[in-house]
Amino acid sequence: MHWSRKLINRLLRYAIVVSTLLMLWKSLVLATNCSRPILVVLSSDGYSFYNLGDLFFVTNYPADPIRTGDVVVFRIEGRFIPIVHRVIRVHEREDGYVKFLTKGDGSQVDDRGLYPVGQLWLEREQIVGKVKGYLPYLGLFVILLSNLPLVDRLLSGVLA
Amino acid sequence: MSESVGTNDASNKPVKVNKWDTNAVKNALDDACKKYFKETLNYTEFYTLMDRRLYISFVACLFSLFALVYDWLNPFPKSRLVLIICAAAYFVLMGILTFYMQFIERGKFYTGKLVDKAGLGPGSRCTIASKLKKYDDKYCLTLKYNEGKDDSMTSSGAFIRSVGNYFDENGVLCYNRIVADLKTIYDQARSNARKVK
Repeated sequence: MHWSRKLINRLLRYAIVVSTLLMLWKSLVLATNCSRPILVVLSSDGYSFYNLGDLFFVTNYPADPIRTGDVVVFRIEGRFIPIVHRVIRVHEREDGYVKFLTKGDGSQVDDRGLYPVGQLWLEREQIVGKVKGYLPYLGLFVILLSNLPLVDRLLSGVLA
Repeated sequence: MSESVGTNDASNKPVKVNKWDTNAVKNALDDACKKYFKETLNYTEFYTLMDRRLYISFVACLFSLFALVYDWLNPFPKSRLVLIICAAAYFVLMGILTFYMQFIERGKFYTGKLVDKAGLGPGSRCTIASKLKKYDDKYCLTLKYNEGKDDSMTSSGAFIRSVGNYFDENGVLCYNRIVADLKTIYDQARSNARKVK
């Protein structure tokens, strides 16, 4: 057998394994309608319900309204890492426009300091999803892995 | 050319495998069969069966790569339609691949053709398939022999033997033993095919 055929055979076998994992992840993204259905908590304050290494399950169904008291994941322009905080105020207009104010459980003030300059409320588009459940400690493995520079870049490349 | 008669090349480089690794053992036995057909019987190998499997896998990987790149360039909500199409296509192709490997390929690891040297008679084709279950020691080898223009003469032979017959205690393959068994069923299949004629 020609060496190129052997090489292609081996490469494709690995590629199929990687592709299957990738496509399963993308299917989860589609199923939850959320660009990041699984999140790892990287930092926490001592008073929050979430701790370092928790694994969060996030969904973003349009029929599931976001209410005060829900914990949401949101992304601010200019910051790569999403933030997981609780919604403390919701303003709704008749035409369906909604805006939110969030606050971390352990902080004394609301998140307005985190929002971009001039923005006082969080828009619906900035919210990645609502936290539905969590598993403790499982994310610690991911944090350990992310300390290796190459893995870190790979993960952020795949998760975009 | 004249050297190929008699001495077996395998005695120069004995194949050693981890005798407890079923995969390695099966691959070593399969490779020995391929070697026999190629060097001693002068068959030329045909890769169509394997190539088709490689094409299906390749197309599936292309879909997944396209989904990855597209999603990277247009973050999620914009890429939803493309993701749905790519994911659906990928899993359909995986289904096709599984079907292909399960029902069409079925353990066939060698398809060879022998062209009649004189150029007079039609060539003969041979397909070998093998099966070795994960923690089992029974190696099942099936050989299908076709001769004639439109496979008018076909016959098959098979044997099931323990892998212990072919490997010594250190995991070194005894080439002569597997070749002897292979030769027996090959000759038998060949003569059977000719008898039908």
